[in-house]
Amino acid sequence: MKQDDSVVSDEFLNAFVDDQLEAAEKSHAFEAIGHDDTLKERVCELRGLKEMVKHAYAHPPARVPAVKGRRSRASYLQALAACMLLCIGAASGWFAHVWTGMGSDREMARLLQSVQHNDVGGEPQKIIVHVSSSNPVRLKSALDETESLLDAYRRSNRPLQVEIVANGGGVDLLRADVSPYAKRIGMMQEKYPNLGFMACGQTIKKLREKGVDVQLLPRTGVASSALDQITRRLKQDWVYIKV
Amino acid sequence: MKILSLFSRAHGFNDQLEQSRERLYRVAYAWSHDAALADDLVQETLSKALKSHGQLREPEMLNSWLFSILTNCWRDHFRLQRETEDIEEVEDFRCVHETTPEDEHAQTQIVGRVRGAVARLALGQRQVLTLVDLEEFSYAEVAAILEIPVGTVMSRLCRARRALKEMLQELAPVQSAQVSHIRRVK
Repeated sequence: MKQDDSVVSDEFLNAFVDDQLEAAEKSHAFEAIGHDDTLKERVCELRGLKEMVKHAYAHPPARVPAVKGRRSRASYLQALAACMLLCIGAASGWFAHVWTGMGSDREMARLLQSVQHNDVGGEPQKIIVHVSSSNPVRLKSALDETESLLDAYRRSNRPLQVEIVANGGGVDLLRADVSPYAKRIGMMQEKYPNLGFMACGQTIKKLREKGVDVQLLPRTGVASSALDQITRRLKQDWVYIKV
Repeated sequence: MKILSLFSRAHGFNDQLEQSRERLYRVAYAWSHDAALADDLVQETLSKALKSHGQLREPEMLNSWLFSILTNCWRDHFRLQRETEDIEEVEDFRCVHETTPEDEHAQTQIVGRVRGAVARLALGQRQVLTLVDLEEFSYAEVAAILEIPVGTVMSRLCRARRALKEMLQELAPVQSAQVSHIRRVK
């Protein structure tokens, strides 16, 4: 890196700042800089710039996940892992659902029977049955148990009031075009005036927003929401049973 | 024993690659000013490095070898971009290089001002400047990484710093000439 004594080039000063000079050249540079304030200033400027660039990229912004069109291998692996987790979750959810479903049917029967047997005070029994699943087996078991309960109370001449509140998938039970038990519900309503059906207004609203035409069975009430209705009934000392 | 030593060597190589990730990312970001693109470039660089592990004859050259791969990935990215002419990509590129994030930031913070100025440098100058300043590679190493003569490295670096100095003066917030002093009025 040859250097003219009289004029010190920018390239030379850059090389000095970047520590790229040979030992002899470096001493020459130190000597020149020591005698010349302008040179000193230029070196300072270059050092300042170098430090500024280092500082500017000391903490680059955090890496972001790859976006459309630039998928990396890692993101594919992440997607694969996510899919596997989803499958495991879905499978375990399904089995858990089946087990708890069976359990809750049994539980419901047990609760209904206990209601039947513990009617000691002679007060009218009020039961709210919450249906949130569209599983036809569970719907059927809910209707069966409710019917046998209503029947037993009627036979023994005891007062009973039952309200079935449906939300989520359970609303299907009360939809005229979807319900697998439309006729049966109609017959039950005829037979038991002390049996009421309520659908969740929020679920219906959501279905309608999705473009689903929701037509409810006749004599089915609509609550502002299932939660509201259940809370109201609990405050009125109704017994709550979840299917 | 041989197999074990082979395994441990491969493991050591992976560790070294992982340690280089941050540095590769920093430089890739300084070239692109796009975090997602920088990340993709680094992933691709590391993946290529793993595949062509055997080509690295001298382990002490690992660092400059990795940056050579990064340079190739960067070049490939531009080649692909030219071929596809994806309007979204062009938009992204324009945004990243000319408008909002850097420029807006530039007015308020020194970091933003410097990044904005570096982003406006010619690509060749930007590469030389960042390899020298951020990674402290020697001029000869930069020449090898970018496959250009040492003289070109020096002249690009010189032009880059000159331009940077001018741009930083340009981008500096204008000091108000009228300084209002608090006066006591009776």
